[in-house]
Amino acid sequence: MSDLVEQLVHGLTLGSLYAMVATGLALMFGVVRLVNFAHGEFYMLGGYAFWYAYGELGLPYPVAGLAAAAAMGVFGLAYERTVIRTILARTWHVQLIATLATSITLTNLAILVFGTQPKEVPTTLSSTIVDVGGVRMAWQRPLVLVAAVVIFAGLEWFVTRAKLGKAMRAMSQNREACAVVGVDVQQVALATFGLSAALAGAAAALVSPLFNIFPDVGALLTLKAFAAVIVGGFGYVKGAIAAAFLIGVAESLAAGYISYAYKDAIAFVVMVAVLLVRPQGLFGRRIGI
Amino acid sequence: MRALRWTIGAAFLVAVPWIVAAAVPGQQRYVLHVLIFTALYGALALSYDLVVGHVGSLSLAHPAFFGIGAYTAALLATEARWPFAAALPAGIAMAGLVALTMGVPMFRLTEHSFAMGTLGFALVTQIVATNWVDFTRGPLCVTGIPKPQLGSLRIATLPAFYWMGLAAVGLVGLLYHGLTTFRLGRAFHAVRDNEILASAASIHPLKYRMIAFVIGGAVAGGVGVLYVSYVGVLCPGELAVSLSVNLLVMLFLGGVGSLRGVLVGATAFTALPEILRMAPTWRMVIYGLLLLIIVIRAPDGLEGVIRRRSALWRRPSSSGV
Amino acid sequence: MALFEVRGLTKRFLGVTAIDAVDVSIEAGELVSLIGPNGSGKTTLFNCVTGYLAPDSGRVTLHGRDVTGVAAHRIARLGVGRTFQLVSVFPRLSALENLLTFLQQHQEESVLARLVRAPRVRRYEAAAVERAMMLLESVGLAARADAPAGSLSYGQRKLLAFAAALMPDPELVLLDEPAAAVNPTMINQMKEQIRALHRQGKTVLLVEHNMEVVMDISQRVIVLDHGQKIAEGSPEAVRRDPKVIEAYFGR
Repeated sequence: MSDLVEQLVHGLTLGSLYAMVATGLALMFGVVRLVNFAHGEFYMLGGYAFWYAYGELGLPYPVAGLAAAAAMGVFGLAYERTVIRTILARTWHVQLIATLATSITLTNLAILVFGTQPKEVPTTLSSTIVDVGGVRMAWQRPLVLVAAVVIFAGLEWFVTRAKLGKAMRAMSQNREACAVVGVDVQQVALATFGLSAALAGAAAALVSPLFNIFPDVGALLTLKAFAAVIVGGFGYVKGAIAAAFLIGVAESLAAGYISYAYKDAIAFVVMVAVLLVRPQGLFGRRIGI
Repeated sequence: MRALRWTIGAAFLVAVPWIVAAAVPGQQRYVLHVLIFTALYGALALSYDLVVGHVGSLSLAHPAFFGIGAYTAALLATEARWPFAAALPAGIAMAGLVALTMGVPMFRLTEHSFAMGTLGFALVTQIVATNWVDFTRGPLCVTGIPKPQLGSLRIATLPAFYWMGLAAVGLVGLLYHGLTTFRLGRAFHAVRDNEILASAASIHPLKYRMIAFVIGGAVAGGVGVLYVSYVGVLCPGELAVSLSVNLLVMLFLGGVGSLRGVLVGATAFTALPEILRMAPTWRMVIYGLLLLIIVIRAPDGLEGVIRRRSALWRRPSSSGV
Repeated sequence: MALFEVRGLTKRFLGVTAIDAVDVSIEAGELVSLIGPNGSGKTTLFNCVTGYLAPDSGRVTLHGRDVTGVAAHRIARLGVGRTFQLVSVFPRLSALENLLTFLQQHQEESVLARLVRAPRVRRYEAAAVERAMMLLESVGLAARADAPAGSLSYGQRKLLAFAAALMPDPELVLLDEPAAAVNPTMINQMKEQIRALHRQGKTVLLVEHNMEVVMDISQRVIVLDHGQKIAEGSPEAVRRDPKVIEAYFGR
C-alpha cells in the first residue's frame, strides 16, 4: 500500500512538472496560435541557470529559484523578439521547423558549454528521505506540488484580475477584436512568451534537485507537455494541467508496476489513445485560455 | 542531346572510384566513404521528400522506418542467417508494413498533432530499440552484420559499396520521378496544396497521403538495410530524432519537392562537414541555425534561388528573334 | 425520379441549428437558385450534400441512391461538380494543370502503364489536354494556360475554378455565389456560362445573393431563412412572397 502511495507521490511530482511546462505551451498556443517546439529547452536552460545560481554561486534556494525563473523570463522575451516575431505570420510548417531548429541548436549549444554529464543540484529537501507513515519520500516532492498549485492559483488570478493577464485571455478568444479595441497585441505576445519561459524556469528550479539537469532533457519533456496540451484540448490551460497530472501519474504507475524502461512511452500512448477516441481532447474544443 | 548528357553523366558517376584513386590517392578510402554516405543519405532524403515535399505531411517518423528496416535486416542476417537478397526485401516490407499500420491512425491527426504523433512514434521506436535488449541487444548494438552477398558477387570493397549506393540513389531517384510527375504527382500536389479542392476533384486525400507515406517509409527501410550492410554495426542511436532534423536540413537547404534540390541538399549536408572537418556537436549547432535561417528566409532552398535566377535570365529579349 | 433529393436534412453546430429539416428536390436539367439572408444555411447545405459536413439527420439521394454522409471525393466521383465561396484553385499549378487535376479519377490506368508511358496513357493525356484547352477557351483563359493559378486575378481564378469543376463533365453542378465580388462584365459572362450549362442539359443549383442574377436566369428559386425553407417557386412568385420579403427586410 505504501508502495502505491509512493508511486502516486512520484506521479504527482511528475504531473506538477508536466503541468507547469504544458501551461506555458498552452498559453503560447492559446494566445498566438503557435506551437513552440523548443519549449523543453526553456526548462533545460532554466535548469542550468538554477544550477549556476544555486550550485556555483551558492545563492539560497528560494533566491536561486527566482533567479532561474527570472533569467528564463528574460530569455523568453528575447526569444519572442528574435525568432518568434519573424515566424508569427507564416504557416505552421515554417513555425514547427523553425522552433525545431531552435531546439536542436540550443540543445547542442548546451552540450558544448556544459558537457553531456548531468549536473546534480541536490537541496536539503531533495536529498533527505523521510518516512511519513510508511511512505518514503523527499520533502522536495510535496514542495513541488504545493509550489505548482500556488503558481497555478497565481496564474488564474493573473488572467482574471491583472490587466495584462486579461488581455492575454481576451487575445486567446478573439485576436481581431483585441486589435480593434486597442490592445497592444505585440506586447501581449511578448509577455506571453516571457511568462511561459519563466514558468519553465520555475519548474526547473523546483524539479532539478530531484531529476538532474542534462542537455537532452528538453526533447522528451516537449513531447509529454505537448501530449498534455493535446489531450487537454489545444490551448485550454486548465485542461492541459489536468491532462498533465493524468500523464504524470500514469507514467509513474507504469514505471512502478509495468516496466521502468518503457515509462516514457506512456505519454505517447495516452495521447494517441485519447486522440483516436476523442480528437477534440478530453475537455472538447474551447476557445480561450 | 539529353540522352547523351545523361549517359556521360552516368558514366562519370560510375567511374568515380577510379577518378578518386587517381586524383587523391592517399585519401581515396575516406572520399569513397563520404560518397557512400552521400548516396545513402540522398536516397533517404528523396524518400522523405515524397512525404514532406509532395504530399505536404510534416512527418517526423522517418528515423523509425529507417531503423525498422535496418534492425529487421540486421537481426535476420545475424540471428537467422538470411542472405542479403532476402533480408533486403524483408527490411523494406517490414518498414512499409509498419508505415501502413501507423499511417492510418496518424493521419487522423491534423497539423501539429500529426507532427507530434509521428515524433512520438519515432521516440517510442527508439525507446523500444534501446530497451528490448533481449531482441535488439539494446545499447550493446547488433554487431557482425555480414557484407552483402548476391550469389557469387560479394560487396565488400569500398568501390563496390559505392556502386551499391549509386544504384540505390539512382533507383530511388527513378521511383521518385515516376511518382511525382504526371497524374500521380498532380494528385499528390493537389492534396498538399488544397485538400478541400482535391476532394472536389475526386481525389481521396487519405489514400494519396498513405501512398506517399508507405512508399517513403518502405524506401527508408531499404536504405536502412543498405546502411547496416555497409557499416556492419547497428545501435539504437541511429534512430535518433536528430535524423529528422538532418533530413529537414537537406530538404530545405536544397529545395523541398525537387529531385535536384534534394540531392544537392543531401550532398552539401553530407560532404561539406567532412570537408570542413567539423565536430559532431558543432555540426548540429550550425545545422540548427542554418535550418532556422533557411526556413524563414528562403524556404525554397538552393533550388528556389537557382530557379529565380534562371527566370531572370529567361526574360524575352526586345529584339524578338 | 428526381436527379437530386434532400429529405429532412438537419445540421447543428454547438447548439445552433444551421439547417432545420430542409427538403429539396431537383429534376434533371433544372436551373435552380438557393437564396436567403446571411446565415440562412445555404453554404452549410452545400457542404452537407457534397460530403464536407456530415448531417445530423435526413437523407441525400443522387439518382435515387443514398449518398448521405458519403465522403466528398466519392460524391465528386459520382458526377457532382462544385465551386466554393472562397475561390479555390491550386495556386502552384498552372491553369491547365489545375484542370487536368480534375480529370484524375475518371481515366483508369495501371501504375505500370503510367510509368512506361504506354500509348494508351499518352492518348488519355492528349485528350485531357484537349478538353482542358477547350474549357479554358470557353472562359477566356486559353492565353493564360501555363500561368500559375496563383498569379491570376480574382475574377480569373473564379473562372478557372468554374472551368475546373466542369472538367469531369458532371451532370449536377453546384455553384456557390458565382456572381460575388466580380465586376458587372464578369457577372454577365458568368450568367452566360451558366445558361450555356443549362442548354447542354446539365442540372445546376446555385447559391446566390445577387437578386438580379437569380431572377434573370433561374427556372425555380428556393428560399432559406434561419435554416428553414420558407418559400419555393418561380422567380416572380418568390419575389412577391410576403414571407420572403419579411425575411429580407422585415427586421
